Amino acid sequence: MKTRLALALASIAILVVHGMVFYQQFFHEWETYQKSYFKQASTLSKNEAEKAVLDSRSPKIEQIMVTQFGNARVDRCTTCHIGSDDPRFKDAPHPYKAHPYSEALGDKQVNGKWERRHKFADIGCTVCHDGQGRGLEEFYAHGEDEFWTEPMLGYVVQENWKPEYQKKLKGKEFMQANCTQCHTENDFASTPLVNKGRELFITKNCYGCHRIEGVSNGTLGPDLSDVGKKWKLDYIYESIVDPRANSKTSFMPQFKLTEEETKALTVFLKSRRGFNFAETNLDRYRAALDKGHVETSKPPTTDTNTENADKGDTTEATTSAPSTSVALGQTLVDQKACAACHKIGDKDGGIAPDLSFEGLMRDDKWVVAHFKDPRALVPDSIMPAFSFSDNEYQAMSAYLMSLTQAPAAASAKENYQNYCARCHGDKGDGHGMIATYLDPYPRDFTNAGFMNSKPEDRLIKSIQEGVGGTSMPAWKNVLNEEQSKELLDYIAKTYTKQKRQNIKPKSVPEKNPVAMSTQSNARGEQIYLQRCTGCHGRKADGKGANSLDILPRPRNLLNSEFVNSTSDKRLFESIMYGVQGTAMPPWVDYGLTKNDVGDLINYIRSLNQEKNKLMAANFVKACH
Amino acid sequence: MSEKNGAQVENESSEPISRRKVLAWLTSMGILGSAIVTIFSNLVFIKPRATYGQPTRFSIGTPDQYPPGTRIALGDQKVAVIREGNKMCAISITCTHLGCIVGVAETGFACPCHGSRFDQDGNVTGGPAPKPLPWYEVSLAPNGELEIDKGKEVTAGKWFTV
Amino acid sequence: MVYSMSKKSQKKSFLSAITEFPAAVWSSVFRNPLPHTDLGRSRTSFTNFFLHMHPVKVHKHTLKPFFTMGLGLMSFFLFLILVVTGVLLMFYYVPSTAQAYDRMLDLRGSVAFGVFLRNMHRWSAHGMVAVVFLHMCRVFFTGSYKKPREFNWVIGVVLFLLTLFLSFTGYLLPWDQLAFWAITVGTAIAGYAPVVGDQMRFLLLGDTTVGQEALLRFYVLHVAVLPLITTVLIGIHFWRIRKDGGLSRPDEADKVETAEAVVPLEPALAGAGAMAYTASGDIDFIEKKKYGIQGLVRGPFTKVGNVPDNTVYSWPNLLLAELFVFILTVLGILVMSYFFNAPLEEPVNVMHPPNPAKAPWYFLGLQEMVSYSAFWGGVGIPGIEVLILLLVPYLDRGKEGVGKWFAKERLLANTLFMTFVVVNIILIIIGTFFRGENWEFASPF
Repeated sequence: MKTRLALALASIAILVVHGMVFYQQFFHEWETYQKSYFKQASTLSKNEAEKAVLDSRSPKIEQIMVTQFGNARVDRCTTCHIGSDDPRFKDAPHPYKAHPYSEALGDKQVNGKWERRHKFADIGCTVCHDGQGRGLEEFYAHGEDEFWTEPMLGYVVQENWKPEYQKKLKGKEFMQANCTQCHTENDFASTPLVNKGRELFITKNCYGCHRIEGVSNGTLGPDLSDVGKKWKLDYIYESIVDPRANSKTSFMPQFKLTEEETKALTVFLKSRRGFNFAETNLDRYRAALDKGHVETSKPPTTDTNTENADKGDTTEATTSAPSTSVALGQTLVDQKACAACHKIGDKDGGIAPDLSFEGLMRDDKWVVAHFKDPRALVPDSIMPAFSFSDNEYQAMSAYLMSLTQAPAAASAKENYQNYCARCHGDKGDGHGMIATYLDPYPRDFTNAGFMNSKPEDRLIKSIQEGVGGTSMPAWKNVLNEEQSKELLDYIAKTYTKQKRQNIKPKSVPEKNPVAMSTQSNARGEQIYLQRCTGCHGRKADGKGANSLDILPRPRNLLNSEFVNSTSDKRLFESIMYGVQGTAMPPWVDYGLTKNDVGDLINYIRSLNQEKNKLMAANFVKACH
Repeated sequence: MSEKNGAQVENESSEPISRRKVLAWLTSMGILGSAIVTIFSNLVFIKPRATYGQPTRFSIGTPDQYPPGTRIALGDQKVAVIREGNKMCAISITCTHLGCIVGVAETGFACPCHGSRFDQDGNVTGGPAPKPLPWYEVSLAPNGELEIDKGKEVTAGKWFTV
Repeated sequence: MVYSMSKKSQKKSFLSAITEFPAAVWSSVFRNPLPHTDLGRSRTSFTNFFLHMHPVKVHKHTLKPFFTMGLGLMSFFLFLILVVTGVLLMFYYVPSTAQAYDRMLDLRGSVAFGVFLRNMHRWSAHGMVAVVFLHMCRVFFTGSYKKPREFNWVIGVVLFLLTLFLSFTGYLLPWDQLAFWAITVGTAIAGYAPVVGDQMRFLLLGDTTVGQEALLRFYVLHVAVLPLITTVLIGIHFWRIRKDGGLSRPDEADKVETAEAVVPLEPALAGAGAMAYTASGDIDFIEKKKYGIQGLVRGPFTKVGNVPDNTVYSWPNLLLAELFVFILTVLGILVMSYFFNAPLEEPVNVMHPPNPAKAPWYFLGLQEMVSYSAFWGGVGIPGIEVLILLLVPYLDRGKEGVGKWFAKERLLANTLFMTFVVVNIILIIIGTFFRGENWEFASPF
């Protein structure tokens, strides 16, 4: 009997659940909307026939099949927004509200009646607005579902977007990104934000690192040709204002942008979908072919400026000027947006070193070589290699060389502020304004262990002659020896604080006693693999597994500029007795003999010799 | 022992049986009802609410696009749009015989499959077609465009005045 | 006169044929009226196609609700639900990378009951994996795989694997990020198999990566190949249950019991059974049965010797129990589907795997093991586990402890199996809830 009772109860329960399920499926919001629309429209109708037509309509799913734009789209938006093309409903509340007419959309007034340029029956809704055309509930249709990749542009922000961005990513102007899918002209009047963003992409030097088809060819950063298809607004926005938020290893600088500029860039990037409706597959193929053609046939000496195609006018004006003139250089430096990162005079990008008196720090040859391949000289530089012409490099270098007006030398304190603080920081702790973007990281003067373990003359030499392969230039043309000494004293007093002790003399050979040979190199490599890879890395590029946790970072031993400018003696000292105030231990305590270290140094030097040869070869090739 | 069991059955039979009947009835009603709901729901499920072909109600543009004297067939929508003076109508071009597409001419419609013929208003003038070609409702949408609703037939000769 | 008489007796009048038409159809379909006698009850079982797979009588022990907990039946009913909802979903599904996801959106948006049927299918699939596994645990812990049921256990293990594979192939079909990466990860695990791994993966995907070919292949496997094999094996599994002597039970179950001893049976039926039993005379009845057809059936069901009859008629005892399990199963799935929607994530983006990319939950134990050792976690250990499972009835030679939960005699076997179950469940729980970005340990709270 119990079984039967349970069975009966279960049966009734299942009937009830069936009923619930059934009921749930037969209530739709859109039906209510449609019925209400028919009723309202019926009262507004002008004649009986129209009224009869409306009265006889019953709710059903309305849809627009759009085939002209990429993949076939099914837009069911008009199921709820059924009055969207009914001008009588222009002031009605949503979802009955009629779509407004606007000159900016190309709508025209003929005999007092508006005519749409973009007919909904052809274009549908999601081509411009995004959202989920197939959805029939607001949550899904408008793209509020976090799993939908195309929420209604400028109208809908998804719940998992950062709250601080949500407000900033609303506004119909974001829809300009979709206008650009067809209206690809650079100066299309109805998409001011896209145009501005495109301009900023050049003037803020984004083009240096990023590639966008038809706009730029940078290779350091990700290709952004279809960034708008891959990512939602919030991700693009966040990547601009906080590059490391989404990619922890990114070395993209945080550019100083106003809110308006960030928005324009976001809209511009959102408009990059890789493939736009205005072009055919054939167009794209041709463009791809042509681009290759232009690049390979480009004579290295002529002044073609593919990068700044949209600034054609100025480029042409400048190419006709004498090619090595300082004036041309100045225009180019201006136009190529160097100041988006560097400081030049009163323009300061706040990301890269001060070039205001570059003529005093570097020579012409260095600057040109650095232009061509910044990493050949400063191996861990984040500066991209721009593919400009040689003439342009020469001109820009000439301009930089003409900048020889350093701020007047004054007290050591002022000198520190003028020259050192940008990298080493106001507190002398190495965390200067641009320090994040420098590798090797600026020296921390508060690290007494290091500062006091090195003889003063070596530190003065670093100031006077710079440190090869790093961003530390030679200051000898700005500060004489006396001033350098004063500066060092100032640093020691203000930042290092601890008193300098007498440095014990160490028994270190002046010259490497082990002769360079393949056997010695092989032995050196063995030792290197056993002892050094943890920090300096398998490739000796300073990026070993532990390197991320160490400050100052392990030295990049492939930095030829540095290694070759460093004496055997110093290398011996650093390896045998360690470097105080850093993670480098005294290896003599761990069983390395003088000969072992000699082998190691031979190995490290051999790595850089090979690299040097390669570089020289490249250099020669580039010059011819 | 068996006797005892048998007696028990006898004794309890009258009252619990009727209760059992009620329970059985409830059970079968529950299951039967659920089955009916299930079958009906599945039929509803199978019937598409939105199809992927041409919608039955569609816009054909403004009346200006069809000057008086127009007689053209819209291939995708399978309908002929006819305008005479201020009057317009939409006549199906699907033959009422076996569903071929009829040709549109000045003099009427002719079906290439089995030779059915229709006059200008779609009435049968010859061949095997059993019925005249249906007329569809034409209306003017609020945005000034003509709409044809193939879901609604109107009586032949009911013109829409532009 | 005689002629007309005989004609009358042979042929009913037209009128009576009309009035008796419904009853005639009923009896032609069901052959028997609702049974009220034991003969009727037996006949019902014999002559009805759907009931003929039941024995006429079942042992009381079989009906104990907490002996089997209806898990096997539940798996079968879940399979039925899956077949029905699956066939219905096929009306709208297109196995094409361009359309599959859109069809999911349509199921959610424009198709009546679309999302509900998808939910039902999804939850039944997950449910079936779980229930089949529990069923296997039940069979093990009650020692029911022992002779003569060894081979049925093997079929059961194969059915469990088929269930997993069915669920896995279905996982890809929505073609969303969840599906795509789960299958990518899942098939990559298969790729670790030695020698044949890569070939197997290639065969499964029809390509080197998950794409249109994989979708089509998974679809065919999911809707045709695997269900067919599963159906056949389920048939054999059922048939073997009867031929191997019904459900297992301890020896004590066959001892004479007092009337109120074990099962809360329908008093009328228990009484009726007992009556029939005594009416034909105790011993004689059993002696006679020695030569009956039942004599061919192996196992303790055969009434040879002085075995007291502890069986009751399947109709209605067993059938009511089955109906109850059926209704509960459907009810559970309906309620689940009513309140929880099947997940549908972003459309596939082959460039952006989610972090972490996880396989379906029932493979997360594998994925967890793979994170320690690719070969051992993905292929070695699961391979050995399956092999041991298949061989269990042949390895375990003890005859004790059949038909009892956690029998003392089987302490070692049960402990080993319990360890296997718990370890796998823990691994799955870790993989599901405690693994965050980069497969690093993360708290779900």
